[in-house]
Amino acid sequence: MTSTLRMVAVLGGICMVAGLALAGVYEITKEPIAYQKKLEVIRSLVAVLPGLDTDPDSFFLDMKREDGSPVRVFRAPGEGGGTVAGAAFEVVAPDGYSGKIYIMVGVLPNGKLGGIEILSHAETPGLGSLIEKESWKGIFRGRSLDNTNFKVKKDGGDIDQLTGATISPRAISGAVEKGLIWFKNNRDAVLDAAAGEKPVTTSGETS
Amino acid sequence: MIGYGQELTKGIWKENPVFKMVLGLCPLLAVTSTAINGIAMGLASLFVIVCSNTVVASLRSIIPDKVRIPIYIIIIASFVTVVDLSMNAWAHQLWKTLGLFIPLIVVNCLILGRSEAFASRNPVFRSMVDGLGMGLGFTLALFMLGTVREILGSGDFFGYPILGSAYNDVLVLILPPGAFLAMGIMLGAFNSLDRS
Repeated sequence: MTSTLRMVAVLGGICMVAGLALAGVYEITKEPIAYQKKLEVIRSLVAVLPGLDTDPDSFFLDMKREDGSPVRVFRAPGEGGGTVAGAAFEVVAPDGYSGKIYIMVGVLPNGKLGGIEILSHAETPGLGSLIEKESWKGIFRGRSLDNTNFKVKKDGGDIDQLTGATISPRAISGAVEKGLIWFKNNRDAVLDAAAGEKPVTTSGETS
Repeated sequence: MIGYGQELTKGIWKENPVFKMVLGLCPLLAVTSTAINGIAMGLASLFVIVCSNTVVASLRSIIPDKVRIPIYIIIIASFVTVVDLSMNAWAHQLWKTLGLFIPLIVVNCLILGRSEAFASRNPVFRSMVDGLGMGLGFTLALFMLGTVREILGSGDFFGYPILGSAYNDVLVLILPPGAFLAMGIMLGAFNSLDRS
């Protein structure tokens, strides 16, 4: 009997100490982790809207995709305020080679792509994962629904596939095209600077 | 009783966890597609094994025999969670690359094996040194495998191209089957070297 009690006490005690220690570590790392997540969003915004001033915590707009799923549109305020100089939002390619591919898409008011950034994917290392290379992502810059057929070259379109990997580029380019169509259909709402969160103004002017 | 120096070096060569005991193959095969991934995974495991060995050894007189395995697992899992959270906070890119394999350090049988076979019946400092040696041996094996696979599989070393564009990548080495091939060849080389 006493040995049973002793087992319970030791096991329980060690569990408690471990729990307390982990709660402490969690508290310490909470802020750095939140900061890293924010940094990641900022990094992708800078990549897809080069040269524009974006802050993920302000001037965003919560909207809905065609299928009703929520999407947060990050926007860059235009010169002098009152306008939107560019918008970035996440699109999902459901048909990657292994799992979904999450992509940040940056669009300028004229409907041209500022760029795309791969947020996360599980494509084959060395083959499909080449979508992460700047040399491939970069080919989307400046493309729009008017000047580009968003299919891979193998399917008769304008987008380069990768050697040994057609499925990942095909999935991404399809998702990007869908994003552009969504932007076209919702252009007025996205570019309405008066809607949604206000930009943080540093020089005093308000929009 | 052997000296502390030997306690340290036995993990690196004579009782190398990978090449001699063939333990902890799950993370070994999964994450060693590049040298930096191998080192990161090795160091994360090194930290966990040193800490868990130390704690297990210091508690060895009060841990009841019948519930020792759950207690080892709690101790190991706690340190793994510390590594997971810390890497997420301060080494975010690495954390993203290694992904699920950091939590999976919990089930690395090398770590539980050292707790059960060594730390539970040896003094604190000796267990710490043993953990350090085993961790270093493990890190070394992961680094070697990662280096070979990265150089031959993608022509890079630590992300920098070293073999030039004329080199035709042996893609299979980056993929999971390549891990087995590279591992098998290295295991053979290590053993024939050891025997001679």
